[in-house]
Amino acid sequence: MKQRRVVVTGIGVVTPIGTGRERFWTNLLEGRSGIGPVRSFDTSAYSVHRGAEVHGFAVENYLSNLDAAHLGRASQFAIAAARLALADANVEIASLDLERAGVSMGTTSGEPREVERFDDLFIGKKLERVGPEFLGLYPSHVIAAHIARELRFAGINIMIPTACAAGNYAIAHAFDVLRAGRADLMLAGGSDSFSRITYTGFAQLGAIAPEVCQPFDRYRKGMIPGEGAGVIVLEPLSSAKHRGARIYAEIAGYGLSCDAHHMTAAHPNGEGAVRAMKQALEQSGTNPEEVSYISAHGTGTATNDRLETIAVKQLFAGSAYRIPMSSIKSMLGHTMGAASAIEAAACALAVYHDRIPPTINLKERDPECDLDYVPNCAREHEVRVAMNNAYAFGGNNASLILRKCESLN
Amino acid sequence: MRNRVVITGAGVISSLGDSSSSLQLSLCSGRRAVKPVELFSTAGLGCPLGGEIPSFDAKKYLGRRNLRPLDRTSRLVASAAQMALDDSGWSESMRKQQEVGLVLGTMFCSVHTISEFDRRAVEVGPGYASPMDFSNTVINAAAGQTAILHNLRGINSTISTGITSGLQAIAYATEVIRSGRARAILAGGADEMCFESFYGFDRAGLLCRSDESAGDFPIPFDKRRNGFALGEGAALLMIEDAHSARERGARVLAEITGHGCAYDCSHGEDEESAVNAIALSVRRALNDAFTGPHEIDCLSASANGSYAGDRHEAKGIRTGLNGQTRKLPVTAIKSMLGETLGASGPMQTIAVLETMRDGVLPGINGLEQVEDDLAFDMISSDNSEIDLEEALINSVGFDGHCCSLVLAKVQ
Amino acid sequence: MSTDEIRARIKKSIATITSLSPEEITDTASYKDDLQLDSLTILEITVDAEYQFQVKIPDEVLSEIRTVDDTVRVVQQHLELAVA
Repeated sequence: MKQRRVVVTGIGVVTPIGTGRERFWTNLLEGRSGIGPVRSFDTSAYSVHRGAEVHGFAVENYLSNLDAAHLGRASQFAIAAARLALADANVEIASLDLERAGVSMGTTSGEPREVERFDDLFIGKKLERVGPEFLGLYPSHVIAAHIARELRFAGINIMIPTACAAGNYAIAHAFDVLRAGRADLMLAGGSDSFSRITYTGFAQLGAIAPEVCQPFDRYRKGMIPGEGAGVIVLEPLSSAKHRGARIYAEIAGYGLSCDAHHMTAAHPNGEGAVRAMKQALEQSGTNPEEVSYISAHGTGTATNDRLETIAVKQLFAGSAYRIPMSSIKSMLGHTMGAASAIEAAACALAVYHDRIPPTINLKERDPECDLDYVPNCAREHEVRVAMNNAYAFGGNNASLILRKCESLN
Repeated sequence: MRNRVVITGAGVISSLGDSSSSLQLSLCSGRRAVKPVELFSTAGLGCPLGGEIPSFDAKKYLGRRNLRPLDRTSRLVASAAQMALDDSGWSESMRKQQEVGLVLGTMFCSVHTISEFDRRAVEVGPGYASPMDFSNTVINAAAGQTAILHNLRGINSTISTGITSGLQAIAYATEVIRSGRARAILAGGADEMCFESFYGFDRAGLLCRSDESAGDFPIPFDKRRNGFALGEGAALLMIEDAHSARERGARVLAEITGHGCAYDCSHGEDEESAVNAIALSVRRALNDAFTGPHEIDCLSASANGSYAGDRHEAKGIRTGLNGQTRKLPVTAIKSMLGETLGASGPMQTIAVLETMRDGVLPGINGLEQVEDDLAFDMISSDNSEIDLEEALINSVGFDGHCCSLVLAKVQ
Repeated sequence: MSTDEIRARIKKSIATITSLSPEEITDTASYKDDLQLDSLTILEITVDAEYQFQVKIPDEVLSEIRTVDDTVRVVQQHLELAVA
């Protein structure tokens, strides 16, 4: 049986630098930062105070069927991104076979604010205020479930909570589902909300930078937690062509691996990262030299950026110096489970527009990080093939390959 | 051309046994794990019952390793993994040479750890929160910890689809093997019994009540049923590509021939929608397995004593099997284990493997007054002897997820 | 609190965190090189000591903590600071 080709026809994002594809892409290319003082909770007891939050978001603009009061923040972002993606793809929901329309989403924490509320009431001996709504709000699967309920999608519905690589995992799964003919349309992506639990944890690990996120910079001081959602519309090439849809890019393949080394530290040789990239290239039939752009995981921590550089050099050898690699976390902060989904969206746009977003705040060259990180300014560059890398707690590594959609020989 | 997928080993930590055979023995003896909860206080809650694993000690399965970094959920998974690896013959040296993957289904992973981490930070200050506990606050923590402990460097994924998480994880792993992307994957699920999730279910009114007059009837398909009782545990299957399994001389337990899933947008509130989703899930699994209703020798139902849920499932199965359910032997092991959430589908799978082996299908414990107009005739609290060649395993969540698996005996 | 008491409590918590036996947790053994502990575990030991003794050890000092002796010394210094 011929393997169906899978393409990206719609993009929806809710991010600290803007909601909606156009705003997001414009701000990305302009190097705008979404990082500022944390407003959603009091950080005076912490030694760090900055984050990348989404401000002024009103989910009501995106809801037709569900009630905002029954939706946690990550679910709200996810629904908004889903609606935006469908609108961007010009999909008429009424024309869909809803049993063959599915949702595949990733997350790191699910809806942590609901647990925070539980905990506050528990501590205050007012737990009785947590009622039946808790179960409908909290467990992470509700994010994908709520999207389906809002849109009435009755097909595959799955949540893949593989932390900071989750977006790529969710997109990879949607890709497989479509290729196997088990669905006709998939919404895929990731979502996470800002949370004190996440902030506390990273602060305790000493991983949060005090001011800015400056991936690959010699004086980088860490990551900046963020929030948001990214959802892309995936469908078979044949159906996209049939309905005259705009095709941003094709999903060519992916690679997944597990370090099996340490919960919070990557393998010191970047071994797992190399395996994931290698698998992605092999499975998609791509030669390393064909890669035009790499969207890095690039969190801005001393270790990640160094190891990621090592891994890329190991895999790409000489070509590594010729391939621009930027980290949009420099602008968005680390949006956790949404990160690789938002980055995949950025890759699709890079492929479509032949432009690459920059790594901002890159001032001092680090001798150990000496690749071309597209410092500070966006660049016009033909992007035939983009690789999107993501690495997570638990040693989960994922690489996604997007390419220009053309006839293949 | 898709690869055939077989099961070559199993590992389980449950309230009724820590091996496939001891679990089967308990199920067929009508042992019920559901009793008053001791792990935490249920004072002030409606339901006092649960199927907890008494005195779980991971050292028994994992030896002298340092287990402090692992919380209870991770320990359950790592222990079940050790047993599945041993059972399937995937030794430490083999795992050094070849990548074995892990796909884990879990509804909560470690909400207890998340909550404790947060509470400590709130009560004494964020500067005193435990960094080690933080690594267990991500939902893929148990899968990560288990991979580290057992050197599982293949594909590692976590699936969260509520109650169907574990069966969905097996389906996900099946697809990975079929596509040739991997040769061996440990797939299954886990969830632990903890106050935070227990509270959530209780307040949602899903658990069987402790009201003296109404009694506690977490009994699948029984007229008196009034909700389910929670359980806990971990269950993992070693899933391999049939060709590689044969080449390495593995003992094959069964073949996974098909899977299907669907989503009920009414999340159980509209009967027609719920029934349709379950029927669709079943039909997809049968089609995927290139089989039909007549070929199915038994049903392992997801039913757990939920008033509407059990009824929806029975109707959904009947529709999905084109009405061919009168003579279909049915079991519902949640009658004894309680609702083990992410572990439930994989535990049902292990019980089916045992029935394939010894020909005994466990009765539904406590079933005395069968629901009126139930689609099934062959359903009782007694065990039955069956020659099980092809089984349908079903998983349904109160929140709308449906997943179905077809297992076939290998000749 | 005496140095001995502080030392005893710290060693006990290290035993809990690492599953090492008390004999292995000597005063001068390097966490990293002798006891083979990774940075997350060393951090956990430090945070646990802070929690137990209700002190706050500044980030700059963390990298100086390499042995049990170091942990005891730093905790004692900060306990004295707190009292002063």
